[in-house]
Amino acid sequence: MKFVIGCLCTTLLGLTAPAFAHAWKVDPAHSTLAFTNTYQNVAYSGQFKRFTAKIDYDPADLARARFDVDVDIASLDTQNGERDEAALGADFFDTAKFPHAHFVTTSFRKTADGEVQTDGQLTLRGVTRPVTLVVKFVPNGDNATLDVSAQLDRLDFGIGAGEWADPSMIGVGVKVHGHLALHAQP
Amino acid sequence: MPLRSTEAGWGALVRVFHWSIALLILVQAVIGLSMVEMGLTPAKVRVFALHKSIGMTILALVLLRIAWRLGERRPADPPAMPRWQVRAARATHLALYLLILAIPLSGWWFNSASNAPLVWFGWFDLPSLTGGLDPVWKPRALLLHQTLFGLLVALLVVHVGAALWHHFKQRDEVLRRMVMGPRKKTGGG
Repeated sequence: MKFVIGCLCTTLLGLTAPAFAHAWKVDPAHSTLAFTNTYQNVAYSGQFKRFTAKIDYDPADLARARFDVDVDIASLDTQNGERDEAALGADFFDTAKFPHAHFVTTSFRKTADGEVQTDGQLTLRGVTRPVTLVVKFVPNGDNATLDVSAQLDRLDFGIGAGEWADPSMIGVGVKVHGHLALHAQP
Repeated sequence: MPLRSTEAGWGALVRVFHWSIALLILVQAVIGLSMVEMGLTPAKVRVFALHKSIGMTILALVLLRIAWRLGERRPADPPAMPRWQVRAARATHLALYLLILAIPLSGWWFNSASNAPLVWFGWFDLPSLTGGLDPVWKPRALLLHQTLFGLLVALLVVHVGAALWHHFKQRDEVLRRMVMGPRKKTGGG
């Protein structure tokens, strides 16, 4: 009898689990991974059209949160074919040698003003460096949106080093912004 | 040196427009034909930016030139010039004006359709004519830019040839007055 009650309780607990789970599935059709930069001192934006993200996130349980993102660099699109082709070449992203970028979080924290930040390791063009993301998570029942942003220095990763390092040619600071549409995983 | 054109010859401003645009077209042709052969380096990007800046300068100069010409008379044609030659000269000049307007505009259009920056000598941005990438019109604008340039070269052969013919064969004032302006009247005139 105790065993049956125990089983029932477990089942009921399972059924009345929190409205949003830890694990989320990304809806690629409504998610973007974009960046802004400058070219000849004129702002432009681009995006990586193919990326996968494993998102475990519960705002009440940051200790167990984890993002793991893989980016297909060749899916770069800056709305300028010549620029995209050049950007994938050896002087820049060098997709022949480094077709993917990878980001994985190591820890999450809440700042004094309530902002959530996560520290992680970004591997880009064969270089791994710590990167901090600002996290904005908005749950909506079984769905949620997750916005992350970061500021990167392209030269930290050897993108356009040497003769292309001149910031008046290509801006050194790159603002990255990810917008993920999430569905709770059953 | 009169600024305005007279019955006898071209004013100083028209001559400045004519020769500055002529020089810039020559520079543009050399840059334009050689830049497309360059490998991708920052130098290539700078040379392209220079070609765009000079092109927009020519566009501005030709617009100013047309505005100025609208308020001016043109000097008289040589009296001996047959009517068909006058007509041919007028048609060639009109076509040259149209080409010098259309070539920078088609370049601007191609640049816009390519979603490439257009910064006038690093000083200020010019707006896009297409509001971003336009993959359909991009190749057409490039073809137009190149075709119009080919036409310009052909017409310049006619234009320069005619000027030299006037000067060396006809020994009239046509070329001289575009270089020197109206001849000073000597004697009792």
